[in-house]
Amino acid sequence: MASTKKLFKNITNRLVELKDTSELMMDLAYSSVLLNSRELAEEVQELEERVDSLHTEFELLVLSSGFKPEESKDFLGLIRLGVVAERIADAAAEISEVVLRGLKPHPVLKLVIEEAEETVTRVQVAKKSSLIGKKLRDIQLPEETGMWVLVIRRGKKWLRPQPNTVIKAGDVLIASGYTEGEEDLMKLASGETVLSE
Amino acid sequence: MVRLEKIEYKPRPVRDLLTEIKDLSELMIDLAYSAALFHSYELAEEVLELEKRVDTLTYILGMSAMLAARDAEDAEALIGVYAVATAADKISDAAADIATIVLQKIGIHPIVREAFQKVEERLARAKVYFSSILVGHRLGELELAAKIGVDIIAIRRKGEWIINPEEDETIDKEDVLIARGAPLGVEELKGLAEGTIQKFED
Repeated sequence: MASTKKLFKNITNRLVELKDTSELMMDLAYSSVLLNSRELAEEVQELEERVDSLHTEFELLVLSSGFKPEESKDFLGLIRLGVVAERIADAAAEISEVVLRGLKPHPVLKLVIEEAEETVTRVQVAKKSSLIGKKLRDIQLPEETGMWVLVIRRGKKWLRPQPNTVIKAGDVLIASGYTEGEEDLMKLASGETVLSE
Repeated sequence: MVRLEKIEYKPRPVRDLLTEIKDLSELMIDLAYSAALFHSYELAEEVLELEKRVDTLTYILGMSAMLAARDAEDAEALIGVYAVATAADKISDAAADIATIVLQKIGIHPIVREAFQKVEERLARAKVYFSSILVGHRLGELELAAKIGVDIIAIRRKGEWIINPEEDETIDKEDVLIARGAPLGVEELKGLAEGTIQKFED
């Protein structure tokens, strides 16, 4: 029984991650077009690969759960949800391709995407930044800058930010928030400004 | 036989079309997951309705973009707009597939659904009856978020959609409200809209 519980926990976690990542990709993809940013567009492409492998892991987990014939519909629903998240991720990747193919974004795109008040930004944590070695919980970025971290890229790994995630030099923070906070976050990450105690 | 809406060109700014396609596709994702996780036929039906609308809008946007291009440079800029619109259309198709899970009675495994229900807020559809106390009031004065913890994220009015309605939007009879909030608040909103509750609980 304990192992069934663990199995469902794993299935749920994978599904949450698939759903979150695909939605994050939509935000990042629109932002890559808005900012005409190759970098952000490339992040989307990398996340797309991540989603592909996550999706496979998820499907294998569901299929190997040893369900009974009468439960098959419940499990089919799970498989379908996974497929949908993967398709959303594909669509996000297509949006970012507009940038990667070197098409200069039409002014209309900027107007449409900017109607949303929030912006997404990507900053790398410099060696001299005061954020290094601190937990996300302690640096209180939303209070300090009005920006919240959506995802952290550390080398080749993507981390979902947790309150006790410790920031390291070289981390790439992808953050969302109001345009005014963007500069504050960039300065904190570059070390130009120091966290207030 | 499959009956699809006949597509006719209507002059509308590309910007408006793309804004509507993008907003609707995002709303549809939220609605569809909520429909699947909370087993709501009502929401699933809304998603399928929206999907038809996004399809039509994408066609019209394509035609508008074609008409707007005068030279190769225009075409290069506009193909990007069209690519974004078709991607948003694919997102809306994906949302419709989630809705189909509900409508075909396939369902999501209850253990996983419960886990999701804890983290997801509930969305609901509420139809406004003529006897509702909400009729004729602006969203700003109703203060639904403060009073019952519910946000109106969209209104469907005679086939048109108002996404993220402004504070001065006035609720009319026969409006269909799409609301987000805690389960109790959402239930209360339904009662208020249908007229079975005639005053705000204190």
